[in-house]
This record gives sequence, C-alpha cells and structure tokens, in this order.
Amino acid sequence: MTLVQVIVSGLLLGAVYALFSSGLTLIWGMMNVVNFAHGDFVMLGMYTAVVIWTALGGGPFAAVPAAAIVIATLGVLSYFLLVRHIMRGPMLAQILGTFGLALFLRYAAFWTFGADFKTLPDTLIGGSFTLGGIRFEGSRVLAGVGGLLITLLLHLILTRTSVGSRMLAVSEDATAAQLMGIRPQRMQALAWAMAGAATGIAGALIATFFYTSPTVGETLAILAFVTVSFGGFGSVLGALVAGLIIGVVESLSAYLIGPVYKDVVVYVLFVLVLWFRPQGLMGKA
Amino acid sequence: MDNMTRRVFAGAAALAALGVVTGAAAQQPVKIGVIYPLSGNSASAGNYSKMAIEVGADVVNNGNAELAKIMPIAKGGGLSGLGGAKIQLIFADNQGTPAAGQNQALRLISEEKVAAIIGAYQSGITVTASAIAERHGIPFLTAESVAANLTERGFKWFFRTTPVAIDFARAYSTFLREQKAAGQKVGSVALVHENTEYGNSVASVIAEQFAKDGLPVTQKIAYSANSSDVQPQVLQLKEKNPDVAIFISYTSDAILYTKTMKELGWKPAIMIADNAGFNDPAFVKSLGGSVEGLVNRSTFAGGKPGSVPELFNELYKKKTGGDSLDDVSARGLQGFLVMADAINRAGSTDPAKIRDALKATNLPASQMVTGYEGVKFDDKGQNILASTLITQMRGGQYVAIWPKDRATAQIVLPYKGW
Amino acid sequence: MKRYLFPGVVLVLAYPLLAAGYPVWERLGALVLLAAIGASAWNIVGGYAGQVSVGHAVFFGFGAYSAVVVYTHLGWPPIAGAPIGMLLSVAVAAVIGVPTLRLSGHYFSMATIAVAELVRVLSSTSEFLGGAQGLTGPAMPRTVFDLSFLSATPFYYIFLAVLAFLLGLTWWIERGRMGFYLRAIKDSERAARSLGVSAGRYKLYAYMLSGAFTSLAGSLYLCMFGFVDPESGFGILISVKMVVMAALGGAGQLFGPLVGALILVPLEELSNSYLGGRGAGLTFVVYGAIIVIIARFLPSGLLSLFERRSAKPAAKSEIASGHAD
Repeated sequence: MTLVQVIVSGLLLGAVYALFSSGLTLIWGMMNVVNFAHGDFVMLGMYTAVVIWTALGGGPFAAVPAAAIVIATLGVLSYFLLVRHIMRGPMLAQILGTFGLALFLRYAAFWTFGADFKTLPDTLIGGSFTLGGIRFEGSRVLAGVGGLLITLLLHLILTRTSVGSRMLAVSEDATAAQLMGIRPQRMQALAWAMAGAATGIAGALIATFFYTSPTVGETLAILAFVTVSFGGFGSVLGALVAGLIIGVVESLSAYLIGPVYKDVVVYVLFVLVLWFRPQGLMGKA
Repeated sequence: MDNMTRRVFAGAAALAALGVVTGAAAQQPVKIGVIYPLSGNSASAGNYSKMAIEVGADVVNNGNAELAKIMPIAKGGGLSGLGGAKIQLIFADNQGTPAAGQNQALRLISEEKVAAIIGAYQSGITVTASAIAERHGIPFLTAESVAANLTERGFKWFFRTTPVAIDFARAYSTFLREQKAAGQKVGSVALVHENTEYGNSVASVIAEQFAKDGLPVTQKIAYSANSSDVQPQVLQLKEKNPDVAIFISYTSDAILYTKTMKELGWKPAIMIADNAGFNDPAFVKSLGGSVEGLVNRSTFAGGKPGSVPELFNELYKKKTGGDSLDDVSARGLQGFLVMADAINRAGSTDPAKIRDALKATNLPASQMVTGYEGVKFDDKGQNILASTLITQMRGGQYVAIWPKDRATAQIVLPYKGW
Repeated sequence: MKRYLFPGVVLVLAYPLLAAGYPVWERLGALVLLAAIGASAWNIVGGYAGQVSVGHAVFFGFGAYSAVVVYTHLGWPPIAGAPIGMLLSVAVAAVIGVPTLRLSGHYFSMATIAVAELVRVLSSTSEFLGGAQGLTGPAMPRTVFDLSFLSATPFYYIFLAVLAFLLGLTWWIERGRMGFYLRAIKDSERAARSLGVSAGRYKLYAYMLSGAFTSLAGSLYLCMFGFVDPESGFGILISVKMVVMAALGGAGQLFGPLVGALILVPLEELSNSYLGGRGAGLTFVVYGAIIVIIARFLPSGLLSLFERRSAKPAAKSEIASGHAD
C-alpha cells in the first residue's frame, strides 16, 4: 500500500514538473532558445500568487490568472527587449543574456520581497482526503491535476489549432513562413506569452504547497532542464511524459534507496535516455 | 604679560589641547567588520543577524537605561575604555561562497582597517575568512559556525562563542534519558537530516553520542535540503513509527516536513527539531500552529521581564517591526557584545591588545542574551561556558523547558502537532 | 587587435607594481587571471569546437579536490595534487565525453549539467572527500610549497605564467590542423565529417585538453583559498561563470575569456564591496543588468567591437531562425 502511495505522490509531483517545464520546452522548440531565467520566471509566478493571495486578499481564483498575466507580460517583454536581439548572435549569447536576466530577476525579487521564506497559509486548500486507502493532499492534487490539464491544453493548441500550425511553420522555417504571410516575430512573441502564462500558473500552483523565496528558482530550473531534454525539445507531450517519469522515479528511489540518491538516479536515467535517444523521448530526430 | 595672564594662557592652551585630544578620540570610531550571507540561500539568516548586531551597536553607542543596570557596556556614550569612542559596523556580504568570504575579509582588514571581524555564519566560509584574519593578525570571532575543526587549526586569533554539535548532542541525550526515567518511551530514535555540512555533521555527532549513552538510533534518513517533495521520507518514518524523531533541517525542508506530516497524518510521541529551519521566524509565523509541543533546541528563549534577553528582544522587535530574536540572531548579537566588551577592556584598537582582552573574557550568565552559562575562552578559542536550552512550542511560541533551573514552563508530552 | 598586444603585455606584467600596497587590488589581479585560466580552458571546447559544456565544474572540482586530498590524506603540499587532478580529469573527460559529445546543441549542454550535478551529489556523500563539510587545506604554511602567501602577488605571477602557457598552447592549436578541424566542426559537423574529419575524435581531444586545464584552475583555486566543499567545487555556478566569461569577451577567440574576466571579476568584486554590505541583493541586480545589456547589444561578445564591419554576418534577415544544425 505504501508503495502505491509513493507512486501516487510521484505522479502528482511529476505533473507539476511537466507544467513548469512546458513553457521552457515551448520556447526551446519554437526558436531553439534555452531560457536560463526560466526558474526565476516560476519564482516570480509564485510571488505574484503570494502577493495576490495574502497581501491583497484575493483567493486562488484571482491568484492563478494574475500570475499567468504577470509572467506572460514578463515573457513578451523579455522577448522584445532581449531575446529577439540575442538570437542574432551565437547560441552562447542566449546563455549569457538569460543568465544575466536570471540574476537580475532573482535579486530584484530579493530587493522587493526580502530574503524570507514565505508560505501560503495552509488552511486555504489545506486538508487531505483518503481514497481507497491512499491519502491525497488537497493542494498537491490541485497542482497535479492543474498541471496535467494545462499541459494537455498547450499541446492541443500547438497541434490542433491554426495558431499552432502557424507557430510550427515559423519554428520549421521562419523565412518560408514569412513568404506565406505569417509574421514570425508575432508568432514568437505569442510563444513567449503562452510559455509565460503556463509558467505563471505553474508558479501559482507550486506556491500552494512549496515555500517561496528569491532563490527557489535555482532549484526548479535544473529539474526543468532535465525534464525538457529528457522529453525531447519542443515536445510538450514529451515534457509531460518525462515529468511523470521523473516524478515517479524520484519518489520511488527516495523511498527505496534513500532521498540523497534520488537525484543521482534521475541524472543517470537521463544520461542513459540520451545515450539511446539523443533527441530525447519524443523529440524530432 | 604678567605672571597671572601667562598662567591663564598656559592653562587655557592645555585645556584646549586636552579638548582636541579627547575630541579626536571621541570622533575616531572603532570599526568592527561583520561578514554575513546577505545574499544567496542563507540570506534570510544573515539579514536578521545583521539587524540584531545593529541593535547591539546602538545600545553600546547610545546607551539603554534598563540594560545599563545589568551590563556596564550599555551605559551609553560609546566605549568608555577608549574615551567614549563609538562603534562603527562595516558589513560585508559573503554571498554564500568561501571565495567571496575570504575576499571580503581581506577588504575589511586592508581597506576598512577594522579592529576585529565577526562572522561568517556558514562554517566553510568561516574557514577561509578566518585564515586571512589569522595571517594578518586580526581577531576573528565566530558566533554561529559550529564545524568542529574550526578550533582545531592551531589559530591564535580565532574565537568562538557558540556551542557546537557535541554540546547539542549531550543536551538531547540527557534530556531524553530524563524523559525515559519519567516514563516516556524512547525505545527507537529516528534521525532525519539534510545532507549539507550542517545536517551531516550534527547528525553524526548525535548518533555517536546516543550510541555511547545507550539510546538506540534505529533510522537515519539523509535528504537534500532543496527537495521539492518529502513524502517518501515521511512514509518511511510512518512505517517504522519511531518513538522519537529528530529533524535537522533548514527552513524550506522544515516547512515541507511539517506540511507533509500533517497531510499524511503521522507524528512521533516526541518530536525534536534541531533549531535552524524550525526556529526561522518565517517558519514560526506560518506553521507555528501546526507543531504544538515540538521540542526544539535554542540558545534563545526570551526571558523574565527586565532580563537581558527580554530587554534586547524588545529593542530588536522595535527595529524589525515585530519579529522576535531567534537562535541565530541572538547568537550573532551575543558574539558582538563579547567583542565590544573585549575592545572596551583592551582600551585600544591594537589587534594584539584586543586578542589579549578576548582571552581574558569572563562574562557571567546574567549578562547573556543567549542561554549560555557565560563566556570564557579556552586555549583554542572555544567558549567553554556555551550551552543550549531546550524549548517547546506552546501556542505559537517557544518557551524554555530544560535545563530545569532555566525553564520557564513545564514540559508537556506527547507531541500534539496540529 | 594586434597593436594593443604590446602595451597590454607590459601592463599585465607591471600590474602588481601599480597595485603594490593595496592588498585588495593585488588580489583582484590574481582573481582575474584565475578566472581567465578557467574560462580560457573552457574556450578550447566551448568556443573553438562549439561544444557548449555547462558542466565544466566537474573538472574544476576534480582539480580542487585532488589538491586538497593529497594534503589531507598524504600531507603533501596541495599543488602536488595538480598533475594528479589533470590526469584524472583527462580520464574523466574521456568517460563523460564519449556518451555526451554525440549529442548536439543544447542536448550536450543539458547532459553536461546533469553529469556535473551527479558528481556534486556523489561528492557530498563521500567520506574520503570530506562529505558535505568539505576539506580544508593547510591552515598555516609549512613550507614555501604550500603556496600560502600574505600578499597575492606571488599568485598573480603563478597564474600569469599558467595563463600565458595556456594561451600559447591555444594559439598554437588554433593555427594548426586541429584548429582547422575544430572550426570546421563548429561551423557544420556534418560538412566536417563529409570532408573526412574525424569529428568525434577531435571533439574528444579538445574536451580532454580543456578538462585538464580547467582542473589546473581548480587546483590553483584551492591553493589560494584553502577550502573546497561540493558547492564551491562542483556547483553549477562555477560552470556557468566560465561560460559567461568566455561569451562576454568573445568565445572562440584567443583573448575573449581574458577580456570577459577583466570585466566580470572586477565588476563582481567591486559591486559586492560597495553594495553588498547593505544586504538588499543590490550587487546582483547591477551585475545581472550589466550582463543583460552587454548580451543585448553585443551578442557575440565584447571583442566583436574590434571586428571590421565586413566581418559581420552578411545575411541580415529580420528574424533569426535559430535552427543551427
């Protein structure tokens, strides 16, 4: 029974991993840019939720959309003010620019909110329920299910709508897309907005059960990088599958081998996957 | 000019000269360098300690009537031993890296010309920063770093006021054996610790001490402090269901464990937290209500009205706008007060005289902000009177329950939780 | 560029004389050179061969730990661990390089991050390496070989000699056959292969060489600071800083990493000295903003300022489709 409980908790965690990785994979697939500030986008989403929730007295229904809007705006701003320009340079310029952005955002938050750890009062979506002998926590179920839904929605937008196919066209060949009357910059900005919104929601949902601090993004960023390359770049579905796998593997290895080694197991698994599938689980070859 | 006027003139000149001299001494402040993590992962602790030390400097420089009744250094008007020189604090950020800590120590010594240094919170950074102070012959006092090897390096300029891991381990052991004698079940002990320097070193010292004292450690769980999920660990605990669980955690993981234990509905009969995260004001504020009856270690647990801890706590609250002193900030403040006392007795900013004064330090328990029995250094620079209190969470606040002579409340077991 | 070389060399050689009596400035010079050694070593594989490793902390950590381990367990002077660290790093580079160098673009970067994190976690569980507490070098110098000096000037010249050797070696490689191959691989690995270049082999050579010198930087770091723990040896920030320094100056150019170090290290030290004590995190706001601004206006690095106009990419399409092969 405990083992089932461990797997369930891993799945719920994995869905959250998928959610906060989906924005990263979208940008990566769309324009081959890795955003080293991604973890700090999540962090700002968390702060937005905390501020709306506690300081301004809004509930979860205000906090989640607010975080989506704030981070989407931040994404679009980053695109127009920075990313658009560094894409003209070599791939290294992305690391340089987005790393600088990461430090800037992290410590701007530090400056504004202080170094304290903040947590949302756990009475809000606190509580847990038991289903078939398995105990579920309210906040994690909400975050996990939310993660699953948003990731699937993002996947459907990319694969089933005309906006999605236009975005895909730009990512395949921007010049050709332009000839077809698609404005690549507009599509790329849209991608940053969508990625930002998903990341903001992820932040708000994580804030319900995790602590919020200016440096929390660092912890999350490495996980997001691994999840995204594990799943294959550009594939939202890949990030979902990878997120779930990583969540379960982490939980199981923490339970069976020991928590210190759970990262070791995940990293080894990751390198093995890349050995056999250099493009990740669902990436295009 | 007759004799009379000459004498008046000479007297006036002498007075003027004297005035200039004392004026100059009063204007020349004594600089103390303070190295803390003001950015990075431990910035929260660093910034609280910074404020606590600022309160201390304010008391020395401007005085506090209540405190002056107990400790002479609080009379105000600066350091009387140096003709009323004020203390000037020069803060430096170690950024959480040993390299930045050392670079800043050098800057404080060579550019700011500080008389002494206090710092640097993380043990690894204290290692590198104090090595520079040692080479330049500047006294270095650490008020928080607990790594055992710090005082084993044969340094001549190094002092430590805080108790170290072995002191904590002995306190827990004695406390638990007393509970056992009183009829509590302590047949199995789980040690849950984060796996950086702090958690690892404290856990291994506790395990050794418990083995010696016949307390069975049946489970040892090491985890990484930045885990995003601790359910598997809590499930492991739930399965073995130990009588006593000791958590050695930072803030983020303390928050996660508390929430997860509540959600999974597991609690031991005696839950002990080793300070750190469970004492963080952020933790106490948001989750104090979910850990009723939690046993904790702290060197600070308030005090009776009119006592040194209580008076400093009121001043600190005024400065921070409501936050109380906690273990870390109180230890920092204590370190500063020891240093200020030594400089005052040295009567000089000469590093060698300050060091000699530090060596001669002998402060009584009544002057302590922290629960130490006093401050007195051995040959290695360790405070031999350093000790810890054991506290318990009652209605959102920690109160001292052990040792008996300093307890302000009776212990209540078993652990209630939420 | 060339006309700056001679005055530059004179300035570099004379710097300690200018800084004499100001220990912070003496040390700053040494810190710049130390950072430049690490970034220049990274540049061999990251800049010239275009394989962007974000996990070079593995080698840095091996160097630092080798130095401190020979002191802790054998009582040798730490610097004696440097050659051991370099040899180990070459071996480790081969082990890591064979599976990861097959990966292209960002996948390689991500894999190197994962490997470095793996090593960091493992190192914190190793008793031999002092676990999470880390290991401390000689507290007080026993002999001159412990390289424990009151002033940073001896370090300055030691670092300068190492950097000069490394840059000389890089220059020699750059002009030789291997340099030609590496550039070909960077431009298009497929094209290079079709020309008969054994891309995998040369990437691995570059990776091993780069690892060896990064390890040397780690050993020198340990000699200067006397302490290493998993975070300060294998932490991701160590890796990222090497990349950022090289990219800021100009990756794949001989003096790029040095220029990057010349800007970033003083910026970091001075902003921390003047802003850090306030404790509001202002240091990194400024530091981050300056990096962003440089990346925004000079994405190819500061040295691109000196490039002739004709060297700029001719294709000026509005959008850069980032799909490098």
